Amino acid sequence: MHKEEAQTELGAVRIYKDVIASIVSLAVAEIEGVKRIGGDFRSGILELIGKKSFNAIRVEFDKNNEVRVQIPLIVKYNFNVVEVANKVQENVRSAIERMTNLFVKNIDVNVQAIEA
Amino acid sequence: MRLFVYLGIVFYAFILILIGLVLIIFAFNILKPQDISNLISFVQYSTHSRIIIGLSGLLLILVSISFAQLILGRFQRERTIAFSTSSGEVTIALSAIEDLIKRLSSYLPEIRELRPDVIATKKGIIVDLRVILRSEANIPELTAHLQDITKSKMQEVLGIEEPIIIKIHIAKIVPLEDRDKKKKETEKQEPPIPFSGYTRL
Repeated sequence: MHKEEAQTELGAVRIYKDVIASIVSLAVAEIEGVKRIGGDFRSGILELIGKKSFNAIRVEFDKNNEVRVQIPLIVKYNFNVVEVANKVQENVRSAIERMTNLFVKNIDVNVQAIEA
Repeated sequence: MRLFVYLGIVFYAFILILIGLVLIIFAFNILKPQDISNLISFVQYSTHSRIIIGLSGLLLILVSISFAQLILGRFQRERTIAFSTSSGEVTIALSAIEDLIKRLSSYLPEIRELRPDVIATKKGIIVDLRVILRSEANIPELTAHLQDITKSKMQEVLGIEEPIIIKIHIAKIVPLEDRDKKKKETEKQEPPIPFSGYTRL
């Protein structure tokens, strides 16, 4: 539940990692060719105990307030994987920068599977 | 690095053999519980031997952790293909490529089962295809076609430029099932064209 804090004249604005993950998730879903967001070991375990909404997207902030995102992805069959991954990276970058004013350093996409 | 892996394997084999030998000796009643008890009390008696035992335990834990990390890290690295883009890194799991190749069998009715194994090496991407064929398939033609479509599909979907080496292993040839035979027979019997016997005057 780590958060990014920005100080304004009226007070502090904190953006939680989960908020960034939600923005990423919505931006990913907009891209044609994306079947769904993949999972990891932790999300698999949490899904087993019924926590289905757990996001496997990893968000990290570095010392310079830059964001690093890791997205596990399942791509639809018959789509160019690299093109889809590039579109995802571009859309995620623009969505985060537009909605949070944070600078995105890296967006790593891990294509886990291809499904019909 | 390879030497370290080799030493690790030898080390673990040695430990397991040692445990096995102790168990066998214990089973034959050569080693008695009293002997083990005496040995443990002897070791515990002296401070020096306790320090040595403790340090050996710590060393064993460190060796195990580093070896596991090395193997798992290597395994993970080998199971993905990575591309760098301006926005970050794109990694594609080799299992995703295997999923893609499996779907190719639907294009070729002669293939009953297709089991791909994809390995990424410095030379390029090696695809091992284990195939089960239906009888009456022309093997040279079919394998050449399978190699072609696998290569073109991988290049089209993944956009990779590395050389792709496709090896095919035909594991089994199974007879045509009744369903397939009927299908083939219906295909052979061309449907009659209505009024084909008549000509225009």
